[in-house]
Amino acid sequence: MHTGAYSRGVRDLTKTKWTSQERNEFIWGWIFILPTMIGLIILNIYPIFKTIYESFFKTGDFGRGNVFIGLSNYTKALADAEIWQALINTFKYAIVEVPFSIIISLVLAVLLNRKMAGRAAYRTIFFLPMVAAPAAVAMVWRWLFNSEFGLLNHIFGTKINWVSDPKIAIFSIAVIGIWSIIGYNMVLFISGLQEIPKDYYEAANIDGATGIKQFWHITCPLLSPTIFFVMITRVIGGLQVFDLIFMVIDRNNPALQKTQSLVYLFYQNSFVENNKGYGSTIVVILLIIIMIITVFQMYGQKKWVHYN
Amino acid sequence: MKNIKKFIAVALAAVMTMGMLTACGGGSGSGGASTGGASTGGSGKGLTVAIWDTNQQAGLKEIIADFTAETGIQATIQVMDWSSYWTLLEAGATGGDMPDIFWMHSNEAVRYMAGDILLDLTDYIAKSEKLEMDKFPEDLKKMYTWKDKMYAVPKDMDTIAIWYNKKMFDEAGIPYPDGSWTWDEFYDIAVKLTKPDGSQYGFACNPSNEQDTWMNIVYSMGGTIVTADRKSGFDDPNTIKAMEFVDKCVKNVMPPASTMSESGPDVLIQSGKVAMISQGSWMVAGFKGNDFMVANCDVARLPKDATTGRSVSLYNGLGWAAAKNTKMPDEAFKLIEWFGTKEMQTKQAKLGVTMAAYEGVSDEWVNNTDKFNLKPYLDAMDDIVFRPYTYSTLAWWNPMVEELKKPWNNEESMADACANITKTMNEKIAEENY
Repeated sequence: MHTGAYSRGVRDLTKTKWTSQERNEFIWGWIFILPTMIGLIILNIYPIFKTIYESFFKTGDFGRGNVFIGLSNYTKALADAEIWQALINTFKYAIVEVPFSIIISLVLAVLLNRKMAGRAAYRTIFFLPMVAAPAAVAMVWRWLFNSEFGLLNHIFGTKINWVSDPKIAIFSIAVIGIWSIIGYNMVLFISGLQEIPKDYYEAANIDGATGIKQFWHITCPLLSPTIFFVMITRVIGGLQVFDLIFMVIDRNNPALQKTQSLVYLFYQNSFVENNKGYGSTIVVILLIIIMIITVFQMYGQKKWVHYN
Repeated sequence: MKNIKKFIAVALAAVMTMGMLTACGGGSGSGGASTGGASTGGSGKGLTVAIWDTNQQAGLKEIIADFTAETGIQATIQVMDWSSYWTLLEAGATGGDMPDIFWMHSNEAVRYMAGDILLDLTDYIAKSEKLEMDKFPEDLKKMYTWKDKMYAVPKDMDTIAIWYNKKMFDEAGIPYPDGSWTWDEFYDIAVKLTKPDGSQYGFACNPSNEQDTWMNIVYSMGGTIVTADRKSGFDDPNTIKAMEFVDKCVKNVMPPASTMSESGPDVLIQSGKVAMISQGSWMVAGFKGNDFMVANCDVARLPKDATTGRSVSLYNGLGWAAAKNTKMPDEAFKLIEWFGTKEMQTKQAKLGVTMAAYEGVSDEWVNNTDKFNLKPYLDAMDDIVFRPYTYSTLAWWNPMVEELKKPWNNEESMADACANITKTMNEKIAEENY
């Protein structure tokens, strides 16, 4: 591995004598990762611990007068029907968004990974949603879905309350989520596909394997590390859904109870109702859930992910 | 040679680190509003002013330009939307990095005053030669006073009136409302304007249209939202009667609740879907620029109740407040004082920014446009009630709106909703300790 020089430096830490090159490498190594480290510590690591800390408090206004209340926030949260409903909503969203966005973008990536006219144009079109601001995307979809004046109902001649019927609203939002993310997933898959040596396909062709067979027996196994990466990041991203719900579902919306996610509840509690302690508790619960799911996925990968 | 390379490398690393740090500094507290590091209190030469209403930006800019010309003090204005405004202010108050001058609202004022976040203006006001505090409404001054100290100077006032679509009245052969109508007559008209095929409805109102719609009905029918001894008014028989009336409107003369929640009453009237809505004077600046509203709509005073004979409009007013930790308190007060003078209150009204808080100058506001007859908003001042509040208003306000969604969607009777709101409100108010 190419980390030889660095690990040599680490081993030498126990000894007193360093060659000047080793010391240089050690110092420069740290200097180069310093900007990222500082950013991570200030923007990610410190807030994580601060959030966990605050979840044990009844917080006062403007960060003053916090009262330690132990696990009260947690016992309250576990008995709170709204949180359980939000958990169900969050899972509903993720269960729809993750598989569909992966399957669709995988198919698109395979189709767009060959020589064809207008390939760059298609790739750009599919990637465009990723460039647009999520708030703008949500506003456009909100109007497409509008039951009264929306394009969807107009085209299909239906009168479906896409985003205000409690039964289907969360799935409508998942559709927006899928639409926004397929371009990004597709780019990752295309780069994964280009790593696969062409010889395999040539050999398969000679043996008379069809395109579909090649897809299942060559593409899928060799692409599995990329699929795994996309799956892990999408599950995490899906469970953290907030902006789409926030933008599309107005607070008068009868479907709000059946669409609000855990992060939405966190926002409501922390920033609207100024109950930062309880809000922190909600995100810590979400953090634990995401960690558990990710651990399971990590174990599960041994069964289906092939690293060569 | 080697040293130069080293020097460049160190310098680059330092620049990158600084870049990260300053980016964090600018990012924290500006909750999504990317107006560049302008939120830093007194960082530049001038004052920073934060507001949440785009419609008022142009007019206020003009008033600030006059101020700069007069005093030489620079001030820049920042506009955010309502929710990011409060997120930013809260984060700024917690982190000690706030705009110098900003708007206060009755929902939040007590928290900020009791939290010792705002600059105490009492002495400044006492010494001021330009401010005539007796010209501002009592309720409004009381709202921004905490423990005998004054923390904001009233900025504006708003009242409520009905907007109606003239074409729809013509089509149905109904004379335009002259403001002498009762809520029952209003209901009959709304029924006539509701078409059975669902292409047109008489009225529209969401649970969150509290101040601008249903709370006015409650007060004109003799009910109340918060009683004098700080209890919920939702168990008052008159409140319940008024809410039953609202319920009748929701069920018979309004579009389905889901439709209203998706589009909102203002969009529905602008698209010719409903004939009447009830809206606050703060919407006028926006409606003026809407072609459909200009071509089809006009304003009428809120109906009165047949029993009490009262046509009540709720009113609310914002206040100009300053941050306690501002680096330029004297300059900040000078600008607040400037906004509060009769001259500038008149100018604010004349430019059509909003109605003025200063007594008597809102006549100018009525004349700010010839597109609508705005006199009903001024007439509404005859009988006004201050927007209900307690120390921590939002704690019960949001659950109240949430509960009302149930009768709106036929999931609960209005009587049950009122009972539930009474319970929640009393619990939340009891928890207030300031």
